[in-house]
Amino acid sequence: MLLNFDRLGGWKWILLGITGLTSAFLILPIVFIAALSFGSSQWLIFPPPGWTLKWYAMFFADPRWLEAAGTSFYIAAIVTVLSVLIGLVASFGLVHGRFIGKEGLRALFLTPMILPVVVLAVALYAFFLRIGLNGTVTGFVIAHLVVALPFSILSITNALEGFDKSIEDAAVLCGASPLEAKLRITLPSISHGLFSAAVFSFLTSWDEVVLAIFMASPTLQTLPVKIWATLRQDLTPVIAAASTLLIVVTIALMLLVALLRKGLKS
Amino acid sequence: MSFLQIRALRKDYGIVTAVRDVNLTVERGEFMTFLGPSGSGKSTTLYILAGFENPTAGDILLDGESLISTPSHKRNIGMVFQRYTLFPHLSVGENIAFPLKVRRLPKAEIDAKVKKMLKLVRLEGFEDRKPAQMSGGQQQRVALARALAYDPPVLLMDEPLSALDKKLREEIQHEIRRIHQETEVTILYVTHDQEEALRLSDRIAVFSRGVIDQIGTGPELYANPATRFVAEFVGDSDFVDCRILSAQNGRADISIGSSLTIRGVPMHGGGAAGGMAALMLRPERLSLARGSVGEGTANLAATVTDIAFLGSNIHVAAAAETGEALSVRLPFGHEAASSLARGDMVSLGFDPASAHVFSA
Ligand SMILES: Nc1ncnc2c1ncn2[C@@H]1O[C@H](COP(=O)(O)OP(=O)(O)OP(=O)(O)O)[C@@H](O)[C@H]1O
Ligand SMILES: [Mg+2]
Repeated sequence: MLLNFDRLGGWKWILLGITGLTSAFLILPIVFIAALSFGSSQWLIFPPPGWTLKWYAMFFADPRWLEAAGTSFYIAAIVTVLSVLIGLVASFGLVHGRFIGKEGLRALFLTPMILPVVVLAVALYAFFLRIGLNGTVTGFVIAHLVVALPFSILSITNALEGFDKSIEDAAVLCGASPLEAKLRITLPSISHGLFSAAVFSFLTSWDEVVLAIFMASPTLQTLPVKIWATLRQDLTPVIAAASTLLIVVTIALMLLVALLRKGLKS
Repeated sequence: MSFLQIRALRKDYGIVTAVRDVNLTVERGEFMTFLGPSGSGKSTTLYILAGFENPTAGDILLDGESLISTPSHKRNIGMVFQRYTLFPHLSVGENIAFPLKVRRLPKAEIDAKVKKMLKLVRLEGFEDRKPAQMSGGQQQRVALARALAYDPPVLLMDEPLSALDKKLREEIQHEIRRIHQETEVTILYVTHDQEEALRLSDRIAVFSRGVIDQIGTGPELYANPATRFVAEFVGDSDFVDCRILSAQNGRADISIGSSLTIRGVPMHGGGAAGGMAALMLRPERLSLARGSVGEGTANLAATVTDIAFLGSNIHVAAAAETGEALSVRLPFGHEAASSLARGDMVSLGFDPASAHVFSA
């Protein structure tokens, strides 16, 4: 390696310091909100004067919060399934297909990643207004699918490119139909890519707030929208509890991915 | 009728012609090798046989019936690829069982066949290994077992050993020969390694730029190359520029330089009197004597430029009077060679009947 950490001498400490500061910058807000969610103060005082689970109790006692969490989960689950299925089919085309404009199409599929979400949200809102999809689960799913698909396509095309097509060809010569070869040989071989695609699609929908605010109606809200709306009315620590729960799900899924990656390598 | 016939096969990729005009018949049980340089169309021909590519023109007949309209998975053909293609998530046993499961054979039959195939490739006891836990050579043997498990009439092999080191390659070449003899399967084998081709094949088809230049047994190709390309590709060869004095009945009288005339050299490719041509000599068929020999005999005057001792033989590099670089191979202990030094004048003798002339 060009830069050997052990041989850096005094620089080592400076680098360590910068790494520490960056990590703190990224993690402290999360620690802060988690601490507040267990704090006994009604006014979100930091450091908390005492510890309590009251806010969590209130969260789980309030059907509106539970409903929002349920909606979030429901929409994220549908988005996950569709995103992986569509991403899989698209990736087969993008990686194994032979047609003109393949690279252009691949770039097009990834544009939602760089497009400002609010632009997308306004456009979808205006469009859905015409066809009556605002405030519906279908509208939510379509909106989140648009931003989730690029992650799905990226993960799956990556996995497919790392998979030697000759292996699928070998299965076909063994007598498996092209579809059977894909299902029995190719899919299991790229399962790590499918899994990443699923997790990233789920998370994209799970904590998405901009599109959700545009799609939401008083009767259909996801958890981030509910947090956002509650925040504007009063500053109750239940928000901190809801946020912490949101983050816990996210971190748990990321850990699962990391663990599976590690398991695959060893 | 021949078992496998390839007729006027052609494959274009846009403006690139990968295969121009391939004609070939293969007998049942034959080991046929496609030998040729990179890009000469060997793999493309094989892929058309496997059904992964459609030919632009031409036909393939197996047992008299055209294969072209049959999809790959119904051709019942076996193939071992250049790259490792074992199914990574399946064990060795499951890999070999895969084609049999696809054919919905009863379990007992599958188990028995897997055992038999593992025995054939000498990997008994490896059933439960995953491909990642095996060496490249072992993986290719499993791939061979998988491809033979369903008793295909034809086995295709596309440079299956090119990723292995030399020693392992030779070892598996012996295995392949033995397996060919035991199973009597018809094999089409692609390689660009002439030694491999000579060691394995019953017959060799030499590919050059999308056509087959010549088909024959190794000794036939070596003793009677039809083109300069074949002469260069199969075995080592020396070339000397010459002029055709007269040509008839496949023999030519030629002149080299200003003073040397050689009569009755077998000629290939048809050339008219007065035209330029190349005289081809095999390094081990040249005799070497010190000094110069009289004019008019089949002797080339040359100057030694290098001497290398290579164990069982001695390799002498020399420059002909007319400028060409020649190589001569002498057996160990050759009298004249023992005291030879760089810069020595020698004369290289040969039998005109064992030389060849290729018209330019
Ligand atoms: N899919 C393709 N698209 C365009 N050109 C191709 C394609 N496949 C092969 N070719 C071209 O066809 C020619 C023959 O290729 P082929 O793979 O048959 O050669 P080969 O004899 O197997 O060579 P090698 O020893 O390198 O494997 C080459 O010039 C190659 O570039
Ligand atoms: Mg090839």
